[in-house]
Amino acid sequence: MVELERRGIPTVIFTARAFVDDARRSAASFGLPGLPLAVVPLPFTNRRPDAIHRMVEAAFDQVVAGLTRPVEMPEPVERPAVEDRLAYEGPDALDAWERMNRDFLRRGWGDGFPLVPATPRAVEAMLRGTTREPADVVATLEPGFGLATVEKLAVNAVMAGCEPAALPLLVAAVRCLAAPKMYIRNKAMSTGPHAPLVLVNGPKGRAAGLGSGMCALGPGAPSVANTVLGRAVRLVMMNVGHTYVGVSDMDTIGSPLKYSLACAENEAESPWEPYHATRGYPREASTVTVHFVYGICELHDFRSTAPEDLADVFATAATNVAQVGTGLWLIGRRADPRYKTEEKEHNTLFVCPEHAQLFARAGWGRAELQAALYRRARLPFRTLMLNKEPQAFQTAHPELAWLADHPDLPLPVVEEPGCFDIAVVGGAAGRGAYFYGAGEPVTMPVED
Amino acid sequence: MASLTVLSPVARTVEHSVKPAPRLRSLEGATIGLYWNMKAGGDAALDRAEALLRERSPGARVRRYTGSVGWLMRHCTAEDADRIAAEVHAVIGTTND
Repeated sequence: MVELERRGIPTVIFTARAFVDDARRSAASFGLPGLPLAVVPLPFTNRRPDAIHRMVEAAFDQVVAGLTRPVEMPEPVERPAVEDRLAYEGPDALDAWERMNRDFLRRGWGDGFPLVPATPRAVEAMLRGTTREPADVVATLEPGFGLATVEKLAVNAVMAGCEPAALPLLVAAVRCLAAPKMYIRNKAMSTGPHAPLVLVNGPKGRAAGLGSGMCALGPGAPSVANTVLGRAVRLVMMNVGHTYVGVSDMDTIGSPLKYSLACAENEAESPWEPYHATRGYPREASTVTVHFVYGICELHDFRSTAPEDLADVFATAATNVAQVGTGLWLIGRRADPRYKTEEKEHNTLFVCPEHAQLFARAGWGRAELQAALYRRARLPFRTLMLNKEPQAFQTAHPELAWLADHPDLPLPVVEEPGCFDIAVVGGAAGRGAYFYGAGEPVTMPVED
Repeated sequence: MASLTVLSPVARTVEHSVKPAPRLRSLEGATIGLYWNMKAGGDAALDRAEALLRERSPGARVRRYTGSVGWLMRHCTAEDADRIAAEVHAVIGTTND
């Protein structure tokens, strides 16, 4: 709508009351904070037409006013402190620290867990983890168009509990977040629970102490470097990207995965080439991959000894229509028109070493497993369309209109076999994880 | 008393500014675009908005639009925006939740 206003066309948007702040924030980030809204009490989703019609009737005067009355530009909102040093006092250091945590939470700068104080000395030590200058701008991070300087990343890394060796990993993760293909604006601001899954490959991850085996996704001491790196990514999304819950992050249900979700690939126990090699990087390179995911499902099988049987089990995880990405290709592709990017919906599998070795002993590589999943993970057209707009299907795939006459025809849940991203993670015994993804992963090299 | 000094984690932002379009004097005689991003229920909302528009401004005309790219939500490309801007005087949208 802002783009139409820019072209001289007055606009007004229906907006549910709960999303007014989000709409204003979004419009403001694109330069038009006064964008007229016609506020209705509830979202239109999951409502019968008569209920929607009543809301529109009640709001129609706002529609007319939005198109005919001068736009009122709101007063500029008070910007949070950017370069300030903040001082907290208390009877003792613990009390001062508690005050800092309470204040940070009040300002919306925390994730809910206690934060490590980013003292000048701690930030200086963190900055020794990189050769880059503190003022270097790594990226401009949406949705708030925050300038991700190395120093701001270091501050958030300290707050998360990272060691200096993690800073280059965080820098690479932020470059992933900011890549046009990531379309982070959508994933950060959505009503869905998008969590950045961070996968580290190569020697720099190992040097930073990242875990890839036993309980790699946490909690506990073996995965502490993973936990704090994932946490730092979330804090950066908030304080650098200005993704604040209830303001610019409209996630309606939330997810524990959003606190932290990071690990390394278990390259030592993998029978396959490392994941980053499948994405075009040299085997010896260090990389960070970020893939936004909605949810997680265990991949459990202690019984199968044949790869086909194990693939049968894994495929059942992929056929969950209540997960938004399942069959989403039928209604188009995630797309950011500003950058002319399009994403296929991917899902990430963390296959445990034991299962990976079972596949490998039978001569299966990643490609064979991807193909097997693609063949097996199918659902009838009518089932895939249960929670999708028919008109969106007709718009995205007019060439497939004939499917309406074949509602029971099984169709793949993803667009192509390559939409299953496979990494080897975890410890002994047959348990892995299936992540329901949102769009495509992005991989960046780790630089000192 | 103990004192604790910390650095702010909050980044400076790049600011954008867009001047709002001039508003219409009246909807009578205007061509109004109705833009649906294909989120469920938005079509029903625009159906009612169109009916109300015709009741209140019988001389108004409407044109329906959606974006040419996207999935759960369909977005306008720059080309879509150019085309819409060339065809209508104002737009009513259902692009938020």
